[in-house]
Amino acid sequence: MSSQFIKAFTNLFKKPQTTTYPQDAIERTENYRGLIEYTENECIYCLKCEKACPPGAILFVPCEDPVPNDKNKKSLKYEYNPWLCIYCTECIRACPKAELALTQSDKKPQIGVKGDRVNSEWTILEQLKKGV
Amino acid sequence: MSKKIVQIPLGSQHISLLEPVKFKFSCENEKIIDVDSDVGFVHRGIERACTTKFKYDKIAYVVARVCGLCAITHSLTYTMSAESLLEGEVSMKAKYLRVLMVELDRIHSHMLCLSHVSENAGYEALFMQIMGDREPIMNLQEKISGNRVQFDYIDIGGVNRDISLSVEDDIKVSLKELRGKIEDLINEFENNYTLSLRFKGIGALSLKEAQEFNALGPIARAAGLVTDVRSESNDLPYSEIGFKIVTSSGGDIYARNMVRLHEILNSITMCENIVSGIPEGEIKTKFKGKPNGEALFRLEAPRGELMYYVKGSSKPMLDRLRIKTPTFASIPAFVEIFKGQEYANAPAILASFDPCMSCTAK
Amino acid sequence: MKINKIEVTLQNVVEKITKFYDPTTTHFLTLNGVAIDETKTEIQWIFADYMKLNDNTVFYVVVDQEDVVPSIVEVIPSAIMSQREVVDMFGIEVQNSAKGLYLDEDSLQKPLSGGCTL
Ligand code: SF4
Ligand code: SF4
Repeated sequence: MSSQFIKAFTNLFKKPQTTTYPQDAIERTENYRGLIEYTENECIYCLKCEKACPPGAILFVPCEDPVPNDKNKKSLKYEYNPWLCIYCTECIRACPKAELALTQSDKKPQIGVKGDRVNSEWTILEQLKKGV
Repeated sequence: MSKKIVQIPLGSQHISLLEPVKFKFSCENEKIIDVDSDVGFVHRGIERACTTKFKYDKIAYVVARVCGLCAITHSLTYTMSAESLLEGEVSMKAKYLRVLMVELDRIHSHMLCLSHVSENAGYEALFMQIMGDREPIMNLQEKISGNRVQFDYIDIGGVNRDISLSVEDDIKVSLKELRGKIEDLINEFENNYTLSLRFKGIGALSLKEAQEFNALGPIARAAGLVTDVRSESNDLPYSEIGFKIVTSSGGDIYARNMVRLHEILNSITMCENIVSGIPEGEIKTKFKGKPNGEALFRLEAPRGELMYYVKGSSKPMLDRLRIKTPTFASIPAFVEIFKGQEYANAPAILASFDPCMSCTAK
Repeated sequence: MKINKIEVTLQNVVEKITKFYDPTTTHFLTLNGVAIDETKTEIQWIFADYMKLNDNTVFYVVVDQEDVVPSIVEVIPSAIMSQREVVDMFGIEVQNSAKGLYLDEDSLQKPLSGGCTL
């Protein structure tokens, strides 16, 4: 019992276990999971990533003025919702051009505010997609 | 004294219990004579979502959200039941890595429970200390899977990330440190009056009651009921890595603490054995076909037996997914234990059950 | 894991389970429902043995929406929770089982039954 008392007392002078984020940066391990990054000109528009994504955080929605790319036959535009993404990298495993068209970075999204297509704007995109 | 019966609720919001469960105690003086439970505060309809919104290969990610603490057990149980309906073989290496994560999960889940037990004994300092000691285990899981809580590590066919040599070394170092700390804790839980004398005989469940009310996991093993799904199935290589069933007798809070502490030690041994002998091989293999037929799978989650029932008919959407979580099945046993106890002990007893309400109201 | 499936009828299920169930060697896992079509549901009583490799026993019966499933709480007290769950999720009546474990009055009713369209 006494040893525990001493331990409890010395614990008072220990450094806290928690990181004071955001003053101190979070430690990024080698497997750190961050945002998915997309490179348009490498993409072949096979839409495999869209199908593989569990929460549906990647959508290829039809648009009027797509980036010129002859692979993009259906005038689609890549849309990604970093607040819906669970960073599972299923999309990257599905992508035939992984590490070129899709990669995982070690960045985190900033805190989503109203103007950021977090909820209702994303629902509009989802509906647009379903309408295809 | 008069024999007046007083109704005292515990929950759905209570300082000693951060989970949405409500127990209504009918007390005569200090004694609890009857208990009524209500668990349906946060029903999320996950079973339905899994059969209407998500294809079978994504469900491992969905069911992980049933519970934050045993996320890995949920996705593993689902994955193994789905795999048994598909064509393919999981490599030995993937199996070892899966067990490694499950056992690390058990270690930190049991530590969470122990810290809550000590908090409910009025021992805040030990609560902080155990929570602090638990942190390295969570860091290990982050190093392996990339995330602290929702691991998304297990998928049909194997695991999603390989383990690197430096992480293996980290695991060895952290586990070695932890073993010392757990041994100190065992000493503490045995000899410190606040934790030992205080808890002996409190919240007891006899072996007969445990069988009658189908108690599970550490609660059952503390009552002397020899049951552990890890030795009731051979789909995971538990027998090769030194799994030993831990039981105790008495079935009180003290016995439950002891079972948990010794299980942590056993899990540490298993994890050490795994990292020193991970076989070579692929971490993921391809599985063919669509789930067809029925499968039933059980796995030992930190709180007891977890069961998944999967039914598919060669379509991407499953016909039925049934999740039976340990806490849900143990509620009748909880209620039985409460009867005859003193009301003042109820929070401590409840903490020693280690209830997980997000599992219960999936 | 292996499943031994045993078909029963609503009349003899309690009797068969009473005969089969020995609390010292077996435990009751859960009562499960599987919607087969719009009106039919398969009700399963799932058991597993202690310390036996991959051993699961399932008693099952196919019921209509109006049928009343007998309660096994007399034999297995811990069945009470899963019986209430089945009542909520499938809208099937189980003898002496209360409604409203999970679902409120104003929520979608019997969400897992075959007749539910959403
Ligand atoms: S990481 Fe996972 S959730 Fe995120 S976009 Fe890729 S598949 Fe979707
Ligand atoms: S899977 Fe890769 S190549 Fe295919 S659409 Fe997605 S990003 Fe493009």
